[in-house]
Amino acid sequence: MSARGTLEAELGGQAPDGLAALDAAERRAFAGILRDAKERQSRELEAAVEESLGVVPRLLRGTIRKVLFG
Amino acid sequence: MADAVDVGLEIVKLTRLLGCRADELGYLERIDSQDLRDLREQVTGVLFDADRHMLGRVAAASKLIPSKLAATIGESVFGPLLCARVTGILDPHRAVDIAERLPTGFLADVTEHLDPRRASRVIGELPPARVAEIADELAARELYITMGSMVGHLSKAATVAALDVVDDETLLRTAAVVESKGSLGSLVALLPEERLETIIRTASDAELWPEALEVMGHVSERQRGELAEIAAGQDDEVLEGLVRSAQHDGLWGVLLPVTRAMSPASRERFVNLPSIQTRTVLAAIVDAAAQESLWADLLAFLPLLPAPARRRVAALATALRPMFPQVVVAAHEEQLWPSLVAFAAELDEATQRRIAELIAASDDEVLAGLLAAVEESALERESLTVLARLAAAKQRSLAKRIAGLASADGIEALAEAARAAELDGITEALIPGRRPGKTTAAKAGP
Repeated sequence: MSARGTLEAELGGQAPDGLAALDAAERRAFAGILRDAKERQSRELEAAVEESLGVVPRLLRGTIRKVLFG
Repeated sequence: MADAVDVGLEIVKLTRLLGCRADELGYLERIDSQDLRDLREQVTGVLFDADRHMLGRVAAASKLIPSKLAATIGESVFGPLLCARVTGILDPHRAVDIAERLPTGFLADVTEHLDPRRASRVIGELPPARVAEIADELAARELYITMGSMVGHLSKAATVAALDVVDDETLLRTAAVVESKGSLGSLVALLPEERLETIIRTASDAELWPEALEVMGHVSERQRGELAEIAAGQDDEVLEGLVRSAQHDGLWGVLLPVTRAMSPASRERFVNLPSIQTRTVLAAIVDAAAQESLWADLLAFLPLLPAPARRRVAALATALRPMFPQVVVAAHEEQLWPSLVAFAAELDEATQRRIAELIAASDDEVLAGLLAAVEESALERESLTVLARLAAAKQRSLAKRIAGLASADGIEALAEAARAAELDGITEALIPGRRPGKTTAAKAGP
Protein backbone atom coordinates (compact mmCIF):
# COMPACT_ATOMS: atom_id res chain seq x y z
CA MET A 1 0.00 0.00 0.00
CA SER A 2 1.22 3.54 -0.70
CA ALA A 3 2.31 5.69 2.22
CA ARG A 4 -0.70 7.90 1.63
CA GLY A 5 -3.00 4.88 1.60
CA THR A 6 -1.42 3.52 4.79
CA LEU A 7 -1.98 6.82 6.61
CA GLU A 8 -5.54 7.16 5.37
CA ALA A 9 -6.29 3.61 6.44
CA GLU A 10 -5.14 4.40 9.99
CA LEU A 11 -7.01 7.72 10.03
CA GLY A 12 -10.13 6.13 8.60
CA GLY A 13 -10.36 8.79 5.91
CA GLN A 14 -8.53 11.52 4.06
CA ALA A 15 -5.78 13.30 5.97
CA PRO A 16 -5.89 17.13 6.24
CA ASP A 17 -4.55 18.74 3.03
CA GLY A 18 -1.48 20.15 4.77
CA LEU A 19 -0.11 16.66 5.38
CA ALA A 20 0.66 16.50 1.66
CA ALA A 21 3.90 18.24 2.69
CA LEU A 22 5.08 15.04 4.41
CA ASP A 23 7.22 12.58 2.48
CA ALA A 24 6.40 8.88 2.26
CA ALA A 25 8.64 7.89 5.19
CA GLU A 26 7.07 10.54 7.42
CA ARG A 27 3.55 9.46 6.52
CA ARG A 28 4.40 5.85 7.28
CA ALA A 29 6.04 6.91 10.57
CA PHE A 30 2.94 8.82 11.68
CA ALA A 31 0.66 5.97 10.61
CA GLY A 32 2.83 3.62 12.69
CA ILE A 33 2.63 5.83 15.79
CA LEU A 34 -1.15 6.02 15.44
CA ARG A 35 -1.44 2.25 14.95
CA ASP A 36 0.73 1.65 18.05
CA ALA A 37 -1.43 4.05 20.09
CA LYS A 38 -4.62 2.27 19.01
CA GLU A 39 -3.20 -1.18 19.75
CA ARG A 40 -1.82 -0.08 23.12
CA GLN A 41 -5.15 1.45 24.09
CA SER A 42 -7.08 -1.69 23.08
CA ARG A 43 -4.61 -3.90 24.98
CA GLU A 44 -4.81 -1.78 28.09
CA LEU A 45 -8.59 -1.60 27.92
CA GLU A 46 -8.89 -5.36 27.53
CA ALA A 47 -6.54 -5.95 30.46
CA ALA A 48 -8.37 -3.39 32.63
CA VAL A 49 -11.74 -4.96 31.88
CA GLU A 50 -10.43 -8.42 32.83
CA GLU A 51 -8.80 -7.12 35.98
CA SER A 52 -11.87 -5.14 37.02
CA LEU A 53 -13.91 -8.33 37.10
CA GLY A 54 -11.70 -9.52 39.91
CA VAL A 55 -12.49 -6.39 41.90
CA VAL A 56 -16.29 -6.34 41.66
CA PRO A 57 -18.20 -8.31 44.32
CA ARG A 58 -18.65 -11.97 43.38
CA LEU A 59 -22.43 -11.50 43.51
CA LEU A 60 -22.34 -8.96 40.66
CA ARG A 61 -19.58 -10.57 38.62
CA GLY A 62 -21.84 -12.65 36.35
CA THR A 63 -24.07 -9.71 35.48
CA ILE A 64 -21.12 -7.43 34.85
CA ARG A 65 -19.41 -10.07 32.69
CA LYS A 66 -22.60 -10.39 30.66
CA VAL A 67 -22.75 -6.61 30.11
CA LEU A 68 -19.09 -6.47 29.17
CA PHE A 69 -18.87 -9.50 26.91
CA GLY A 70 -22.47 -10.12 25.86
CA MET B 1 0.27 34.42 18.32
CA ALA B 2 2.72 33.37 15.67
CA ASP B 3 1.79 30.16 13.88
CA ALA B 4 5.05 28.53 15.01
CA VAL B 5 3.83 28.76 18.59
CA ASP B 6 0.45 27.25 17.70
CA VAL B 7 2.20 24.50 15.75
CA GLY B 8 4.30 23.71 18.83
CA LEU B 9 1.15 23.58 20.98
CA GLU B 10 -0.58 21.23 18.57
CA ILE B 11 2.42 18.90 18.51
CA VAL B 12 2.46 18.78 22.32
CA LYS B 13 -1.24 17.89 22.27
CA LEU B 14 -0.65 15.18 19.69
CA THR B 15 2.19 13.62 21.69
CA ARG B 16 -0.10 13.47 24.70
CA LEU B 17 -2.85 11.89 22.65
CA LEU B 18 -0.62 9.37 20.95
CA GLY B 19 1.62 8.60 23.93
CA CYS B 20 4.80 9.38 22.01
CA ARG B 21 7.72 11.81 22.35
CA ALA B 22 7.78 15.25 20.66
CA ASP B 23 10.94 14.36 18.71
CA GLU B 24 9.07 11.48 17.08
CA LEU B 25 6.74 14.07 15.50
CA GLY B 26 9.39 16.64 14.54
CA TYR B 27 8.37 16.48 10.85
CA LEU B 28 4.96 17.91 11.75
CA GLU B 29 6.60 21.30 12.44
CA ARG B 30 6.31 21.92 8.67
CA ILE B 31 2.51 21.67 8.77
CA ASP B 32 0.40 24.71 9.63
CA SER B 33 -1.45 24.83 12.93
CA GLN B 34 -4.96 24.54 11.49
CA ASP B 35 -4.07 21.34 9.61
CA LEU B 36 -2.48 19.97 12.80
CA ARG B 37 -5.59 20.85 14.74
CA ASP B 38 -7.73 19.03 12.16
CA LEU B 39 -5.34 16.07 12.37
CA ARG B 40 -5.56 16.01 16.17
CA GLU B 41 -9.34 16.01 16.04
CA GLN B 42 -9.22 13.19 13.51
CA VAL B 43 -6.82 11.19 15.71
CA THR B 44 -9.02 11.81 18.77
CA GLY B 45 -11.96 10.35 16.86
CA VAL B 46 -9.92 7.38 15.66
CA LEU B 47 -8.71 6.50 19.16
CA PHE B 48 -12.20 6.81 20.58
CA ASP B 49 -13.82 4.85 17.77
CA ALA B 50 -11.20 2.10 17.94
CA ASP B 51 -12.70 0.87 21.24
CA ARG B 52 -16.09 2.52 21.11
CA HIS B 53 -17.91 -0.78 21.53
CA MET B 54 -15.99 -1.88 24.62
CA LEU B 55 -15.94 1.63 26.13
CA GLY B 56 -19.73 1.70 25.80
CA ARG B 57 -20.00 -1.63 27.60
CA VAL B 58 -17.70 -0.40 30.37
CA ALA B 59 -19.91 2.67 30.79
CA ALA B 60 -23.00 0.44 30.92
CA ALA B 61 -21.39 -1.91 33.45
CA SER B 62 -20.39 1.01 35.67
CA LYS B 63 -24.09 1.77 36.21
CA LEU B 64 -24.50 -1.58 37.95
CA ILE B 65 -22.02 -0.90 40.72
CA PRO B 66 -21.95 1.80 43.41
CA SER B 67 -20.14 5.03 42.50
CA LYS B 68 -17.59 4.41 45.23
CA LEU B 69 -16.64 1.04 43.72
CA ALA B 70 -16.61 2.52 40.19
CA ALA B 71 -14.22 5.18 41.47
CA THR B 72 -11.97 2.55 43.07
CA ILE B 73 -11.87 0.46 39.88
CA GLY B 74 -11.31 3.54 37.76
CA GLU B 75 -8.37 4.66 39.81
CA SER B 76 -6.72 1.34 40.59
CA VAL B 77 -7.49 -0.70 37.45
CA PHE B 78 -8.41 1.48 34.48
CA GLY B 79 -6.06 4.37 35.10
CA PRO B 80 -6.41 7.97 33.91
CA LEU B 81 -6.27 7.43 30.13
CA LEU B 82 -9.02 4.83 29.95
CA CYS B 83 -11.12 6.74 32.51
CA ALA B 84 -10.78 9.81 30.29
CA ARG B 85 -11.98 7.82 27.28
CA VAL B 86 -15.01 6.45 29.21
CA THR B 87 -15.93 9.82 30.75
CA GLY B 88 -17.40 11.18 27.53
CA ILE B 89 -19.95 8.36 27.31
CA LEU B 90 -21.00 8.22 30.95
CA ASP B 91 -24.18 9.89 32.09
CA PRO B 92 -22.90 13.31 33.30
CA HIS B 93 -24.57 13.05 36.75
CA ARG B 94 -23.09 9.60 37.24
CA ALA B 95 -19.67 10.77 36.04
CA VAL B 96 -19.72 13.70 38.47
CA ASP B 97 -20.82 11.40 41.31
CA ILE B 98 -17.86 9.10 40.58
CA ALA B 99 -15.49 12.07 40.24
CA GLU B 100 -16.52 13.28 43.68
CA ARG B 101 -15.10 10.07 45.12
CA LEU B 102 -11.74 10.27 43.38
CA PRO B 103 -8.63 12.01 44.70
CA THR B 104 -7.77 15.37 43.15
CA GLY B 105 -4.42 14.12 41.83
CA PHE B 106 -6.10 11.33 39.89
CA LEU B 107 -8.72 13.71 38.48
CA ALA B 108 -5.89 15.97 37.33
CA ASP B 109 -4.34 12.92 35.60
CA VAL B 110 -7.68 12.17 33.91
CA THR B 111 -8.05 15.80 32.83
CA GLU B 112 -4.72 15.56 31.02
CA HIS B 113 -6.18 12.87 28.75
CA LEU B 114 -9.72 14.20 28.48
CA ASP B 115 -11.19 15.28 25.15
CA PRO B 116 -13.15 18.31 26.42
CA ARG B 117 -15.57 18.34 23.51
CA ARG B 118 -16.67 14.75 24.14
CA ALA B 119 -16.81 15.30 27.90
CA SER B 120 -18.19 18.83 27.82
CA ARG B 121 -21.39 18.04 29.73
CA VAL B 122 -19.47 16.26 32.48
CA ILE B 123 -16.98 19.13 32.76
CA GLY B 124 -19.85 21.62 32.86
CA GLU B 125 -21.48 19.85 35.79
CA LEU B 126 -18.42 19.54 38.00
CA PRO B 127 -18.94 21.43 41.27
CA PRO B 128 -16.95 24.69 41.49
CA ALA B 129 -15.07 23.63 44.62
CA ARG B 130 -13.89 20.42 42.92
CA VAL B 131 -12.86 22.33 39.81
CA ALA B 132 -10.87 24.74 41.98
CA GLU B 133 -8.99 21.81 43.56
CA ILE B 134 -8.20 20.31 40.16
CA ALA B 135 -7.14 23.70 38.77
CA ASP B 136 -4.84 24.18 41.76
CA GLU B 137 -3.27 20.78 41.11
CA LEU B 138 -2.88 21.39 37.35
CA ALA B 139 -1.35 24.81 38.09
CA ALA B 140 1.16 23.20 40.45
CA ARG B 141 2.08 20.80 37.64
CA GLU B 142 2.31 23.75 35.21
CA LEU B 143 -0.11 21.98 32.83
CA TYR B 144 -1.28 25.16 31.12
CA ILE B 145 -2.39 23.46 27.90
CA THR B 146 -4.61 21.06 29.86
CA MET B 147 -6.15 23.94 31.81
CA GLY B 148 -6.56 25.94 28.62
CA SER B 149 -8.50 23.12 27.00
CA MET B 150 -11.11 23.23 29.79
CA VAL B 151 -11.94 26.92 29.35
CA GLY B 152 -15.29 27.31 27.65
CA HIS B 153 -16.57 23.97 28.97
CA LEU B 154 -16.68 24.81 32.70
CA SER B 155 -19.72 26.46 34.26
CA LYS B 156 -19.41 30.15 35.05
CA ALA B 157 -19.28 29.44 38.80
CA ALA B 158 -16.60 26.80 38.30
CA THR B 159 -14.56 29.15 36.11
CA VAL B 160 -14.73 31.85 38.78
CA ALA B 161 -13.65 29.30 41.40
CA ALA B 162 -10.70 28.25 39.25
CA LEU B 163 -9.72 31.87 38.58
CA ASP B 164 -9.63 32.45 42.32
CA VAL B 165 -7.06 29.73 42.97
CA VAL B 166 -4.62 30.31 40.12
CA ASP B 167 -2.06 33.11 40.26
CA ASP B 168 -1.67 35.77 37.58
CA GLU B 169 1.30 34.13 35.93
CA THR B 170 -0.53 30.80 35.62
CA LEU B 171 -3.58 32.61 34.34
CA LEU B 172 -1.61 34.41 31.63
CA ARG B 173 0.20 31.25 30.55
CA THR B 174 -3.12 29.36 30.47
CA ALA B 175 -5.13 32.06 28.72
CA ALA B 176 -2.52 32.26 25.97
CA VAL B 177 -3.04 28.59 25.09
CA VAL B 178 -6.81 28.40 25.54
CA GLU B 179 -8.14 26.06 22.87
CA SER B 180 -11.43 27.84 22.38
CA LYS B 181 -10.21 31.38 21.64
CA GLY B 182 -13.80 32.59 21.49
CA SER B 183 -14.08 31.92 25.23
CA LEU B 184 -11.35 34.41 26.15
CA GLY B 185 -13.80 37.32 26.13
CA SER B 186 -16.06 35.56 28.64
CA LEU B 187 -13.03 34.67 30.74
CA VAL B 188 -11.77 38.26 30.85
CA ALA B 189 -15.31 39.47 31.64
CA LEU B 190 -15.20 37.42 34.86
CA LEU B 191 -12.11 39.24 36.13
CA PRO B 192 -12.55 42.41 38.20
CA GLU B 193 -10.57 45.46 37.11
CA GLU B 194 -8.17 45.18 40.06
CA ARG B 195 -7.26 41.65 38.96
CA LEU B 196 -6.77 42.79 35.37
CA GLU B 197 -4.37 45.44 36.66
CA THR B 198 -2.29 42.93 38.60
CA ILE B 199 -2.29 40.63 35.56
CA ILE B 200 -0.93 43.41 33.34
CA ARG B 201 1.76 44.18 35.92
CA THR B 202 2.60 40.47 36.06
CA ALA B 203 2.87 40.41 32.25
CA SER B 204 5.53 43.08 32.62
CA ASP B 205 7.34 41.65 35.68
CA ALA B 206 7.39 38.06 34.41
CA GLU B 207 8.04 39.06 30.77
CA LEU B 208 4.76 37.54 29.67
CA TRP B 209 3.72 40.25 27.21
CA PRO B 210 3.37 37.74 24.35
CA GLU B 211 0.82 35.85 26.44
CA ALA B 212 -1.01 39.06 27.39
CA LEU B 213 -1.08 40.22 23.77
CA GLU B 214 -2.40 36.86 22.65
CA VAL B 215 -5.36 37.40 24.98
CA MET B 216 -5.84 41.02 23.87
CA GLY B 217 -5.92 39.82 20.28
CA HIS B 218 -8.92 37.59 20.91
CA VAL B 219 -11.26 39.63 23.09
CA SER B 220 -13.94 42.11 22.04
CA GLU B 221 -13.03 45.60 20.85
CA ARG B 222 -14.38 47.05 24.11
CA GLN B 223 -12.38 44.63 26.26
CA ARG B 224 -9.27 45.25 24.16
CA GLY B 225 -9.76 48.94 24.87
CA GLU B 226 -10.09 48.32 28.62
CA LEU B 227 -6.99 46.12 28.73
CA ALA B 228 -5.06 48.53 26.52
CA GLU B 229 -5.98 51.40 28.86
CA ILE B 230 -4.78 49.44 31.88
CA ALA B 231 -1.52 48.70 30.07
CA ALA B 232 -1.20 52.32 28.95
CA GLY B 233 -1.67 53.46 32.54
CA GLN B 234 1.56 51.76 33.63
CA ASP B 235 4.94 53.46 34.02
CA ASP B 236 7.05 54.20 30.94
CA GLU B 237 9.38 51.39 31.98
CA VAL B 238 6.52 48.89 31.71
CA LEU B 239 5.49 50.21 28.30
CA GLU B 240 9.09 50.13 27.09
CA GLY B 241 9.09 46.44 28.08
CA LEU B 242 5.97 45.94 25.98
CA VAL B 243 7.67 47.56 22.98
CA ARG B 244 10.79 45.41 23.48
CA SER B 245 8.64 42.29 23.62
CA ALA B 246 6.67 43.23 20.48
CA GLN B 247 9.96 43.85 18.70
CA HIS B 248 11.73 40.74 19.98
CA ASP B 249 8.81 38.36 19.48
CA GLY B 250 7.51 39.84 16.23
CA LEU B 251 4.21 40.87 17.82
CA TRP B 252 3.53 44.26 16.22
CA GLY B 253 0.74 42.65 14.24
CA VAL B 254 -1.03 42.07 17.57
CA LEU B 255 0.12 45.21 19.39
CA LEU B 256 -0.77 47.71 16.66
CA PRO B 257 -4.55 47.03 16.92
CA VAL B 258 -4.20 47.20 20.72
CA THR B 259 -2.72 50.71 20.48
CA ARG B 260 -5.69 51.75 18.35
CA ALA B 261 -8.00 50.54 21.13
CA MET B 262 -6.32 52.95 23.58
CA SER B 263 -7.82 56.34 24.34
CA PRO B 264 -6.29 59.14 22.22
CA ALA B 265 -4.29 60.44 25.20
CA SER B 266 -2.92 56.99 26.06
CA ARG B 267 -2.12 56.27 22.42
CA GLU B 268 -0.24 59.53 22.13
CA ARG B 269 1.80 58.73 25.23
CA PHE B 270 2.58 55.26 23.92
CA VAL B 271 3.48 56.44 20.43
CA ASN B 272 5.90 58.98 21.90
CA LEU B 273 7.89 56.44 23.90
CA PRO B 274 11.59 56.79 23.04
CA SER B 275 11.88 53.13 22.01
CA ILE B 276 9.23 53.57 19.30
CA GLN B 277 11.20 56.30 17.55
CA THR B 278 14.03 54.12 16.23
CA ARG B 279 14.14 53.22 12.55
CA THR B 280 14.26 49.50 13.40
CA VAL B 281 11.10 49.60 15.48
CA LEU B 282 9.25 51.82 13.01
CA ALA B 283 10.27 49.49 10.18
CA ALA B 284 8.91 46.51 12.14
CA ILE B 285 5.62 48.37 12.72
CA VAL B 286 5.24 49.30 9.04
CA ASP B 287 6.19 45.75 8.05
CA ALA B 288 3.55 44.27 10.38
CA ALA B 289 0.93 46.66 8.99
CA ALA B 290 1.85 45.60 5.45
CA GLN B 291 1.88 41.89 6.20
CA GLU B 292 -1.39 41.86 8.08
CA SER B 293 -3.17 44.70 6.28
CA LEU B 294 -3.39 46.77 9.45
CA TRP B 295 -3.59 50.01 7.51
CA ALA B 296 -6.31 51.55 9.64
CA ASP B 297 -4.29 50.79 12.77
CA LEU B 298 -1.19 52.30 11.20
CA LEU B 299 -3.09 55.41 10.08
CA ALA B 300 -4.37 55.91 13.62
CA PHE B 301 -0.79 55.60 14.89
CA LEU B 302 1.06 57.81 12.40
CA PRO B 303 -0.20 61.33 13.13
CA LEU B 304 0.76 61.00 16.79
CA LEU B 305 4.41 60.27 16.03
CA PRO B 306 6.88 63.12 16.50
CA ALA B 307 7.97 64.74 13.19
CA PRO B 308 11.39 62.98 12.94
CA ALA B 309 9.76 59.58 13.39
CA ARG B 310 7.06 60.45 10.83
CA ARG B 311 9.81 61.29 8.35
CA ARG B 312 11.41 57.91 9.03
CA VAL B 313 8.08 56.19 8.34
CA ALA B 314 7.64 58.32 5.20
CA ALA B 315 11.00 57.06 3.96
CA LEU B 316 9.89 53.48 4.62
CA ALA B 317 6.54 54.05 2.90
CA THR B 318 8.16 54.34 -0.53
CA ALA B 319 8.55 50.58 -0.57
CA LEU B 320 4.85 50.16 0.14
CA ARG B 321 3.56 51.84 -3.04
CA PRO B 322 1.98 48.63 -4.41
CA MET B 323 -0.16 48.47 -1.27
CA PHE B 324 -1.45 52.04 -1.41
CA PRO B 325 -4.82 51.06 -2.90
CA GLN B 326 -5.50 49.14 0.32
CA VAL B 327 -4.36 52.15 2.38
CA VAL B 328 -6.79 54.43 0.53
CA VAL B 329 -9.62 51.93 1.08
CA ALA B 330 -8.78 51.72 4.81
CA ALA B 331 -8.68 55.53 5.09
CA HIS B 332 -12.13 55.73 3.51
CA GLU B 333 -13.78 52.83 5.34
CA GLU B 334 -12.35 53.73 8.76
CA GLN B 335 -12.77 57.49 8.29
CA LEU B 336 -9.06 58.07 8.66
CA TRP B 337 -8.64 60.46 5.73
CA PRO B 338 -7.11 63.22 7.89
CA SER B 339 -4.30 60.85 8.96
CA LEU B 340 -3.60 59.76 5.41
CA VAL B 341 -3.72 63.28 3.95
CA ALA B 342 -1.44 64.69 6.65
CA PHE B 343 0.98 61.79 6.26
CA ALA B 344 0.90 61.89 2.45
CA ALA B 345 1.90 65.55 2.53
CA GLU B 346 5.22 64.46 4.07
CA LEU B 347 6.05 61.79 1.47
CA ASP B 348 8.37 62.12 -1.50
CA GLU B 349 7.01 63.43 -4.80
CA ALA B 350 6.72 60.08 -6.59
CA THR B 351 4.86 58.51 -3.70
CA GLN B 352 2.57 61.52 -3.45
CA ARG B 353 1.86 61.20 -7.20
CA ARG B 354 0.88 57.54 -6.70
CA ILE B 355 -1.56 58.49 -3.93
CA ALA B 356 -2.94 61.39 -5.99
CA GLU B 357 -3.55 59.02 -8.91
CA LEU B 358 -5.40 56.61 -6.66
CA ILE B 359 -7.56 59.45 -5.36
CA ALA B 360 -8.22 60.65 -8.92
CA ALA B 361 -9.25 57.11 -9.89
CA SER B 362 -11.52 56.60 -6.88
CA ASP B 363 -15.29 56.69 -7.20
CA ASP B 364 -17.47 59.62 -6.15
CA GLU B 365 -18.33 58.15 -2.76
CA VAL B 366 -14.66 57.82 -1.79
CA LEU B 367 -13.81 61.26 -3.15
CA ALA B 368 -16.74 62.85 -1.31
CA GLY B 369 -15.56 61.18 1.92
CA LEU B 370 -12.10 62.61 1.43
CA LEU B 371 -13.45 66.10 0.70
CA ALA B 372 -15.67 66.12 3.77
CA ALA B 373 -12.68 65.10 5.93
CA VAL B 374 -10.44 67.74 4.31
CA GLU B 375 -13.02 70.45 5.02
CA GLU B 376 -13.64 69.29 8.59
CA SER B 377 -9.95 69.05 9.46
CA ALA B 378 -8.89 72.10 7.38
CA LEU B 379 -6.41 70.03 5.42
CA GLU B 380 -6.81 71.94 2.15
CA ARG B 381 -3.13 72.85 1.89
CA GLU B 382 -1.94 69.28 2.60
CA SER B 383 -4.43 67.71 0.21
CA LEU B 384 -3.43 70.12 -2.57
CA THR B 385 0.25 69.36 -1.93
CA VAL B 386 -0.56 65.77 -2.89
CA LEU B 387 -3.01 66.48 -5.73
CA ALA B 388 -0.60 68.98 -7.29
CA ARG B 389 1.64 66.02 -8.21
CA LEU B 390 -0.85 65.04 -10.90
CA ALA B 391 -0.29 66.18 -14.48
CA ALA B 392 -2.01 69.51 -15.24
CA ALA B 393 -4.84 67.96 -17.25
CA LYS B 394 -5.55 65.43 -14.51
CA GLN B 395 -5.48 68.20 -11.90
CA ARG B 396 -8.17 70.14 -13.78
CA SER B 397 -10.26 67.05 -14.38
CA LEU B 398 -10.12 66.08 -10.69
CA ALA B 399 -10.85 69.66 -9.60
CA LYS B 400 -14.00 69.66 -11.78
CA ARG B 401 -15.18 66.47 -10.06
CA ILE B 402 -14.41 68.02 -6.69
CA ALA B 403 -16.49 71.07 -7.63
CA GLY B 404 -19.45 68.74 -8.14
CA LEU B 405 -18.98 66.82 -4.89
CA ALA B 406 -17.69 69.21 -2.19
CA SER B 407 -19.83 71.64 -0.20
CA ALA B 408 -19.83 75.31 -1.19
CA ASP B 409 -17.62 76.14 1.81
CA GLY B 410 -15.33 73.26 1.00
CA ILE B 411 -14.92 74.45 -2.59
CA GLU B 412 -14.19 78.00 -1.41
CA ALA B 413 -11.58 76.82 1.07
CA LEU B 414 -9.89 74.58 -1.51
CA ALA B 415 -9.96 77.33 -4.15
CA GLU B 416 -8.42 79.77 -1.71
CA ALA B 417 -5.68 77.30 -0.80
CA ALA B 418 -5.09 76.55 -4.50
CA ARG B 419 -4.85 80.26 -5.24
CA ALA B 420 -2.35 80.72 -2.40
CA ALA B 421 -0.31 77.81 -3.75
CA GLU B 422 -0.54 79.27 -7.26
CA LEU B 423 -2.28 76.17 -8.57
CA ASP B 424 -4.12 78.19 -11.18
CA GLY B 425 -5.61 75.27 -13.09
CA ILE B 426 -7.20 73.89 -9.95
CA THR B 427 -8.47 77.31 -8.85
CA GLU B 428 -10.11 77.92 -12.23
CA ALA B 429 -11.60 74.43 -12.38
CA LEU B 430 -13.04 74.71 -8.86
CA ILE B 431 -14.66 78.10 -9.40
CA PRO B 432 -14.86 78.87 -13.10
CA GLY B 433 -14.37 82.56 -13.80
CA ARG B 434 -12.36 83.28 -10.71
CA ARG B 435 -9.08 84.63 -11.87
CA PRO B 436 -6.01 83.19 -10.20
CA GLY B 437 -4.50 85.57 -7.69
CA LYS B 438 -7.80 87.38 -7.14
CA THR B 439 -8.46 88.08 -3.49
CA THR B 440 -11.71 86.63 -2.21
CA ALA B 441 -13.74 87.05 0.91
CA ALA B 442 -13.90 83.30 1.34
CA LYS B 443 -12.70 81.54 4.42
CA ALA B 444 -8.92 81.58 4.44
CA GLY B 445 -7.08 78.36 3.76
CA PRO B 446 -4.45 77.01 6.13
